[in-house]
Amino acid sequence: MAERKQMNSIPDMNAEGRERQVLIVEDDFVNREMLKANLENGYEILCAETGEEALAMIHEHSGTLSLVLLDLNLPGMNGLDLLQEIKKDMDLSRIPVIVLTSDTESEVKSLNAGANGFIPKPYPRQEVMLARILRCIELSENRDLIRWTERDHLTGLYNREYFYRYAEQYDARHRDEPTDALVLDVSHFRLINERFGKAYGDEILRRIGAELFAIVRENGGIACRREADTFQVYCPHQEDYEPMAGRVAAAACGDSIGRIRIRIGVYSCVDKSGEMERRFDRAKSAADTIRHSFTESVAYYNEELRKKEMDAMRLMDDFQAAIQQKQFVVYFQPKYNIQAEEPVLCGAEALIRWKHPELGMISPGVFVPLFEGNGLVRELDNYVWREAAAQIRRWKDRLGCSVPVSVNVSRIDMLDPDLADTFCQLIRENRLEFGDLHLEITESAYTQDAEQIISIVAGLREQGFRIEMDDFGSGYSSLNMIIKLPIDLLKLDMGFIRHAFSADGDTGILKIMLDIARYLSVPMIAEGVETKEQMLTLKELGCDIVQGYYFSKPVPAEEFEQFFKEEAKEHADKG
Amino acid sequence: MLTKDNLRGWGANVDEGMARCLNNEAFYLKLVNKGIQDPAFGKLQAACESGDLDGAFDAAHCLKGVMANLALTPILQPVEKITELLRKRTAMDYGPLLAEIDGARASLVALIEG
Repeated sequence: MAERKQMNSIPDMNAEGRERQVLIVEDDFVNREMLKANLENGYEILCAETGEEALAMIHEHSGTLSLVLLDLNLPGMNGLDLLQEIKKDMDLSRIPVIVLTSDTESEVKSLNAGANGFIPKPYPRQEVMLARILRCIELSENRDLIRWTERDHLTGLYNREYFYRYAEQYDARHRDEPTDALVLDVSHFRLINERFGKAYGDEILRRIGAELFAIVRENGGIACRREADTFQVYCPHQEDYEPMAGRVAAAACGDSIGRIRIRIGVYSCVDKSGEMERRFDRAKSAADTIRHSFTESVAYYNEELRKKEMDAMRLMDDFQAAIQQKQFVVYFQPKYNIQAEEPVLCGAEALIRWKHPELGMISPGVFVPLFEGNGLVRELDNYVWREAAAQIRRWKDRLGCSVPVSVNVSRIDMLDPDLADTFCQLIRENRLEFGDLHLEITESAYTQDAEQIISIVAGLREQGFRIEMDDFGSGYSSLNMIIKLPIDLLKLDMGFIRHAFSADGDTGILKIMLDIARYLSVPMIAEGVETKEQMLTLKELGCDIVQGYYFSKPVPAEEFEQFFKEEAKEHADKG
Repeated sequence: MLTKDNLRGWGANVDEGMARCLNNEAFYLKLVNKGIQDPAFGKLQAACESGDLDGAFDAAHCLKGVMANLALTPILQPVEKITELLRKRTAMDYGPLLAEIDGARASLVALIEG
């Protein structure tokens, strides 16, 4: 009676108010029935007599099982093998296992395999067994609660924040061991999601998570899901990660037809004096170098990347001073209408240059992508717009003439709700006409959030601005979408010119692009024109306007005045 | 017929065995009946006779757990002895120990059948 009271006083419900489920794995009838009798008043008892039967039941009840009581001496798959199966599976490993044994030798082996506790044979008093079982379950449930906050819920791996904490702990335990930081991602995962749906994409991520869990369990280290389809691993140094890339890719594919490619960026033998997050940023930089490769799976962070990063950081640090000290200089490249008998100056494109006081002239190809990546490009664009508008005003005042100047509008600028006001203010402040400033918007800006961008562009056009579509032909626009675009001018991507006039190129595609412009009733600009032959061919094909080194490289504003003077002289000579 | 008292008289630590069975006499006696028929007795005998010391150890180890849980001391004592010898895979004649186990088991069977 006293014992029954004791049993009833034990809180035997789980958090959802259900009776906790315990699986007894014991082949011997007497031991099994005795244990069952001792526990069944407090728990829902399941029984298995073999390792194989137990494993199937554990999989079936993995979501509800609170504990496994495991005899080691089983027919077929023995208890130790079963324990290892449970602990290497990410879903099952959360289930605590108490080993039933009378053998201290087995206790050590069981602990190494992940056992959470022991109940000796012969069984101790019922109160002792129940207390031990309850304590083990409660510890595991508390651990589950902690896991819930530190885990990524889709894959079960650590989330990024906790991963860094555990990585610090890992370092503390492996102070002198060479360690690698890895960043893994799935090549073109967005396309997989779009093609097969989010549920399939999630399944792929789960499989990758399970495989990475198994890998770090086998080789040591820790793993997390960094974000979306990106994972991180911090592990003992290895020379070759190609096998890991292959293994994770195979697991991600599962039985499905098709191929999934895994990219791994490796920061090998990390410098442990550096910040933990920076180590993985470096691995990510390495992974990004093979973003567009279809053959490489593994890339290593190296001295070249380190220098590139240092240079990038320097440029970002110097940005504000460069704006304040006007180190950025706007150059102008002339555009000529070639459909007249002689080419006629008809516009200019404003292009940025950076005259760095220590590094000299820096190409926009170096710093624009960098500032696009961190959002500084908005400030840079605004700077160019202000400088270009002021220069048009100066030309008008000094020379009594000007040409329309095109300025680049980045995709990120398009999302600024004050964009139209900004341009209107520039027009007002510099007493310009709307036609004086053309806005160049790259084609690729239209391919994401197309409807929103189209509506913004339409608003700018209604204000009176002329819109040029830059890099036409490079942004994968559908012809159907191009018809709807509110544009005044198409600017052919430089790649078409390069291809058309290369050794084995032909002008067929140019003709098609020009036909599209004609169909849309908008002029076509060709940029990157370098020779007279190219210019004459384009003229013959019906291209309206040409920009490129054939006429002039981009030049400072003062030098550009020469083109106005030549133009005026031409008119005077004809007159 | 097996009772708590004649089992105690035979040498079992009945109080200990009963405690593991929630002091439920019928349940305890039912398990004793089952325990005495445990297939591990036969396996131990056969494995020792064929020289399969690994198999013999597994069977002895299993029997030790069952006999200890039921507190069937007269059988448990020789089973413990043979288990420890088999754990070290001692090459010896296990006949006398097997006979001791068999004798204790036979006396319990006689008690049950009597």
